[in-house]
Amino acid sequence: MKVRAIDCPNCGGSVELRGYSHSLSAVCIQCLTVIDTSHPQLTILKQFQDANRVRPLLPLGSRGRFGGKLFEIIGMQERQIMVDGTTYSWQEYLLFNPYAGFRYLSVYRGHWNFIEPAKGLPETTTRYLGKPALKYQGQTYRHFQTAEAETSFAMGEFPWKLEVGQKVTVKDYIAPPKLLSEEITPDEVTYSVGTYQTGEEIAKAFALTTPLSLASGVFANQPAPAANLGSTWSTFVLLLVGLFVLSIFLKVISRNEVVFDQRLHYSSADKESAKVTDIFELKGRTSNVEIESETDLLNDWMYLDMSLINTETGQAWDFGREVSYYSGTDSDGRWTEGNPKVSVNIPSVPSGKYYLRIDPDMSDDAGLHSASYTIKVTRDVPKFWLLWLAIPLLMLPALWRTIKRGTFETQRWAESDYATSSSSSDDDDD
Amino acid sequence: MNPLAGSDRFRGNCPNCGAPIQFTFLQAVQTVCKFCQSVLVRQGVDLQLVGKVADPLIDASPIQLGTEGQYGGQAFQVVGRIVYEYLGGRWNEWYLAFSNGTFGWLSDAQLEYAISFLVKSTAPAQATRGVQVALGKELFTVTTFTRARYIGVEGDMPFTTWDKTESNFLDLRSANQRFATVDYSEQPPLVFTGNLVDYDDLKLRNVKQFEGWQ
Amino acid sequence: MTNLFLGNLKYWLYGLTLLGGAGVAEWRGYSFTSINEHQVAPKSVRDNPGAYRSHYSTYTRYSGGK
Repeated sequence: MKVRAIDCPNCGGSVELRGYSHSLSAVCIQCLTVIDTSHPQLTILKQFQDANRVRPLLPLGSRGRFGGKLFEIIGMQERQIMVDGTTYSWQEYLLFNPYAGFRYLSVYRGHWNFIEPAKGLPETTTRYLGKPALKYQGQTYRHFQTAEAETSFAMGEFPWKLEVGQKVTVKDYIAPPKLLSEEITPDEVTYSVGTYQTGEEIAKAFALTTPLSLASGVFANQPAPAANLGSTWSTFVLLLVGLFVLSIFLKVISRNEVVFDQRLHYSSADKESAKVTDIFELKGRTSNVEIESETDLLNDWMYLDMSLINTETGQAWDFGREVSYYSGTDSDGRWTEGNPKVSVNIPSVPSGKYYLRIDPDMSDDAGLHSASYTIKVTRDVPKFWLLWLAIPLLMLPALWRTIKRGTFETQRWAESDYATSSSSSDDDDD
Repeated sequence: MNPLAGSDRFRGNCPNCGAPIQFTFLQAVQTVCKFCQSVLVRQGVDLQLVGKVADPLIDASPIQLGTEGQYGGQAFQVVGRIVYEYLGGRWNEWYLAFSNGTFGWLSDAQLEYAISFLVKSTAPAQATRGVQVALGKELFTVTTFTRARYIGVEGDMPFTTWDKTESNFLDLRSANQRFATVDYSEQPPLVFTGNLVDYDDLKLRNVKQFEGWQ
Repeated sequence: MTNLFLGNLKYWLYGLTLLGGAGVAEWRGYSFTSINEHQVAPKSVRDNPGAYRSHYSTYTRYSGGK
């Protein structure tokens, strides 16, 4: 079968019918007259204004491969909807293969969709995450938009009588990267399924030399860029488990060994307050040392100036802590202030023989100040604060991805019928 | 039992132009003479001229008389054709003879294909778009209501279409790609059920060739 | 299942590095707070503890109290 051409009844120009007898209307490229080609007696349906001529992004007659099949662009429509007083227009390309039939490519702000007729009906009508939804082939499609679309301009041929200005009510449902469209007329309901395509994929399919314009904003069924959030948070949970296992391990291998424990006394009457302890041994790998002191202070304070000194290497760690404890009763009852106990943790102390130098000090006013205090030295105490810090740090990437997904989804739904409501960071592609 | 085999198929001569006529299957009742486009109906051992096909009926469907294919594990051959016209254009119903002796229909509307078989189900007296209908044990939903005219025939038919002018048709679908159609040209209405199929699924051979297309 | 690891590869690398670092730090007993460390002659300190000048010799006396 060969492609035949007809003569435009308006200007006489040649109009090729690349869709053969399927084409029921064709637009004359010269004078933009819409011709009824369903019968040999060609009649005029309408004429477009030259001022409204639109340049198609993909040239008519170009061929591209989809799903392994070659299709030819034989028609292009510019369609538009009106939402809240604003007109949104997009282009739809009619793809034709004499055996496989018709498909469509729609494009809006750089977002493309490959559309084919759905063979089955949706299984059920339901609701999902607060929106009406359709279940089709096992996937749940959420309602995105209901709008009346009309054709504002067209070029090429169509397997239906192109009636410019005719409005069709279309309901779109999304399950990114897919889009399910429902078109209802009094006598017919049709469903079509769209699959999101990027400009690069379309340019590649048609072997275009110049790239197509970049996509702006987020489109209804555009897949979210990140990996699915479920697996991201599962990764976090697994890392948390790893953290837990690590903590158990560190707890198990820690010595937690008390190497010195003694009760000492101080009195302001003493001439020389500084003293040194007996030598004790810190065993095992380089780890921390915890020094705890419990005093019998009551309504007084004491300053403990201490040094941990290695007898062999001469390394010394100096530290000091104030201890104070006050208590009494007033109109509200008993009150206390301060803590009679104090604890210091010295990090990264190598093993070896050590002693403590302790120089306590109390108030140097006229009164007699004295206290007794214990000094307990524990080797290799599991502290875990670094691991506690790791928890929020581990969570950061998952939180970041969730926030990013949230903003992406807000942008997506900003174009829908639900734009006024605040967004939720629900997953759309799990 | 291949319905296309055997020499017991009806033979005769076209009463209009004398050309030899042989029905392609045993149960054929109506045929179209390939030479003079006369529509002939079998009456006993005779062929009666009932009309002439005026419209050339050449369209861009890749399917033609003699096209062979496969469905449900069975091979079939296209032996007849009815062309309908409605407000939105035309479509074909191709009559298929299967190698296991059964017959079915291949509907071809704007290159959307469906295979269906006559079933003994009761259809509602009428129904509109969106109505749910039970046919046999299956539940379908009416997707299309069409009022169509019989435009022409080609090949052999198991019944006569010549006295049919216009009729209502329903297309029904279900969630699992099942397809059904109800033909109100007879009383009781004829019910067909089957499946929607892709062109590739049918593995068609001996199809129309298109210049510039593989 | 493999997607869990491949799809979140960077996350795994980051997380395991973090855990590794925290583990090593815990193992070595590291801390943000450092205790002043210096060299002394231990014998002299044991002989005369009072003469030792610790880095904490300048401290603010507690001057509060109820």
